[in-house]
Amino acid sequence: MDDHLVGVLASIGIVSFVALSAYVLLLSGEVSFGQQAFFALGAYAAGIGTAVLRWPLASALLLGALVGALAAAAVARATLRLTGFAFAMATLAFAEMVRIAAELVVFRVEVDGRLVGPAGTDGFGDIRYLFENDITPGQYAAGVYVLLAAVLALFAAVERSRLGRALRQAGTDPTLAELQGISVVRVRLAAATAAGALAGLGGGLYAHLLTYVEPGNFNIMLGVHSLAYGLIGGLGTALGPVLGVLIDIGLLESSRLFAGYRMIVFGGLVAVLLIVRPRGLLDERAVHWIAARIRERLDALAARRADGPLRRP
Amino acid sequence: MTDVIQSTLDGLMFGSAYALLALGFTLIFGTMRRLNLAYGPTIMAGAYLGAYAFARTGMGALPVALLAVAGAALAGLYVERLCFRPFGEGAAIASMISSFAVWMQIEEAATLALPSHLNAFPRLAAAAPIEVGPFSFRAEHLLMLLVASLAAALVYWGLARTRFGLAVRTVIDHRRAAALVGVPVERTLMLAFVLASAIGGLAGFLIAASEAQITPMFGMWATTKGLIAMMLGGLGSVPGAILGGLALGVIEANAQWLFGPHVRDLVAWGLLFAVLALWPGGLLGGRDGPGAAGHGRV
Amino acid sequence: MLEVADVATAYGKIEALKGVSLTAEKGRITCLLGPNGAGKTTLMYTIAGILRPRRGSVRLAGEDITGLASSSIVARGLALVPENRLVFPHMSVEENLVAGAYQRRDAPAVAEDIERMYARFPRLQERRQQLAGTLSGGEQQMLAVARALMSRPRILLMDEPSLGLAPRIVEEVFAIVETLNRDGVTIFLVEQNAHMALRVAHHFYLMEQGRVSFSGEPGKLAQDEVIQRAYLGTRRPG
Repeated sequence: MDDHLVGVLASIGIVSFVALSAYVLLLSGEVSFGQQAFFALGAYAAGIGTAVLRWPLASALLLGALVGALAAAAVARATLRLTGFAFAMATLAFAEMVRIAAELVVFRVEVDGRLVGPAGTDGFGDIRYLFENDITPGQYAAGVYVLLAAVLALFAAVERSRLGRALRQAGTDPTLAELQGISVVRVRLAAATAAGALAGLGGGLYAHLLTYVEPGNFNIMLGVHSLAYGLIGGLGTALGPVLGVLIDIGLLESSRLFAGYRMIVFGGLVAVLLIVRPRGLLDERAVHWIAARIRERLDALAARRADGPLRRP
Repeated sequence: MTDVIQSTLDGLMFGSAYALLALGFTLIFGTMRRLNLAYGPTIMAGAYLGAYAFARTGMGALPVALLAVAGAALAGLYVERLCFRPFGEGAAIASMISSFAVWMQIEEAATLALPSHLNAFPRLAAAAPIEVGPFSFRAEHLLMLLVASLAAALVYWGLARTRFGLAVRTVIDHRRAAALVGVPVERTLMLAFVLASAIGGLAGFLIAASEAQITPMFGMWATTKGLIAMMLGGLGSVPGAILGGLALGVIEANAQWLFGPHVRDLVAWGLLFAVLALWPGGLLGGRDGPGAAGHGRV
Repeated sequence: MLEVADVATAYGKIEALKGVSLTAEKGRITCLLGPNGAGKTTLMYTIAGILRPRRGSVRLAGEDITGLASSSIVARGLALVPENRLVFPHMSVEENLVAGAYQRRDAPAVAEDIERMYARFPRLQERRQQLAGTLSGGEQQMLAVARALMSRPRILLMDEPSLGLAPRIVEEVFAIVETLNRDGVTIFLVEQNAHMALRVAHHFYLMEQGRVSFSGEPGKLAQDEVIQRAYLGTRRPG
């Protein structure tokens, strides 16, 4: 498998993290334009972890997730009174503040005779953990997908649990949820923190894949894109945002046809798709339909197997 | 001290363009109850149309202005039909993402038409700066303030005194009640959207002409400035939009002079975050939340 | 004046109206009674053009208005005083009245009509510059009626005018209904308060679960049974 394709696959996996981050918040009823802030914080923190502190990758990624979670919790606390578009704007404001701060902050430490660390607009380079430890792109991509699979499994488990139901309920009808004893405030805080951790983890993975990140990577485009992935892929399941990322990156990368017109074509397709499916391809109805079909198949299989050895004479 | 006053005055003048941007954004939000993420790009479409014509024919500022306004209005019509009209209640996010998709479309189309980063734009005013005592005013900024004020006053008057303005105000205040008194709601929404885009187009022209150039970053820039100004003044409030725009201009001008361009932007966003966290309704909104003030009132 | 024939309206998969037929005669007060959820408001919104019916027809003075936009229906002389009043909360009483006359082009006559409304509803005149959202329930009801009258409608539809109002105010409202009718306005009235409605109605219908289940004139039938069904729906036998 050539390196470029592996890189694309790894990107799809990594961007899925920030798409899932926006998705969690959407489920809790809020639109966030700012998840890229925690993606950025995670990237820089994890980068400092391996490149400056010389920690192993796992610890650095954990640090990234932690930083993302803490920052997200703080922002959520500050914006508790906000809903709807005011909240969305506040998240955007925070994300832009982080991006601009990254342009201004220079923090370089001498490691092995070289200066390593974030250098403002010049970015943060030399995040060379993968090279230094002979991890191939293929191995890294595999690792990314193992992590993603674990996260998706976690999502599946949570969706079935009381927490998952509380989350969706708080998102669809907060007043009703409160009446049912669900503390919408606590749910939103929990969702925001989890989303921050997800984005932070993704950021750490991102930094190590690219070995160099700069503030411009974490702009409004990334933020609105993360939201768009869920809307395109579908809001009925955690697989939706991942599907959205696959469609966006995969299709765009592979369509050599529309060389200069990719965005015009793709943008038009998205706009039309949303008219037909305002909650994405894998929306709640589609997911129910698919689940019902699967159950039917399983039931038919079970029935056939039951009939087999005990067939009536 | 003189520096502060000079910056403040400069900020007020540039802020008048921000006020127009915010005014257009607010008209759309007030009627649609949705954010139009393609707002900046539609303005850029108009400005790019003007720049394209300028590059080909060297026409003067006034025809370019007309083209910019018309181009923005047409682009706005496209956005309204594709991204807003087809969506009913409860599909607000889909609508927004759709407008984002169109943002991408317009940006690409613009860079295809004019591929270079810097594109020439006719000068707003060729006169030398005017000196009044220790202060100096660029002619283009004075003209910008004049035109923007006239436009804002015209919109304000139109909303308060014309039949169409009444229709817009009823739709903003209570859409169903507006339908019941016989207001053609869909047509009003479309016209308000196009008008808002045209206002944005004028703001875009003024800004591009005062710098005598336009870049592909303009779409994103206009969207963010318009959003900040609108939120500062209180979401959905017409007087708030104007106030927010002027305030943003003044704060930015002073922050730039004190700390430089990076910190200037940091201050703008930081201010917005602080205002939202502390006063969810914006400067004019009070503690009741977005849109509580100026809603339907002119 | 108003003929509704086999109208069915649905919200997605839920059929709120399953084939409603009724008539409101010119110059009379016609009432539609029925319990909560019977579909009365859905019917009003369908007639007024806010909702589109899946099938059936609505005719106003012989003209088919089915599926027309609400603005066209107002233009043809129908005005609805909606459930919950729906005044323009951030506009003044006077601005609400002006809005009611939106489709009219005869400004001097509009101004005269406004004065006439103030004469008919003196409490509104006292509060002419006050924001409509700050009025009491009864005042908002009067404003909603006055606003609807500003378009000089041929027929006035009223959806639950007594909702949430104190009994004394309800009496006032129904007195206004009677006065308007005496002045020649055709009225089609939806109510849960069957008592008051039957006192003013010339003809009434009973609606249950999306269908008209009874049609008649007050005084001809056992009043109690009608009122019971209006409040509670048909009793199941046994």
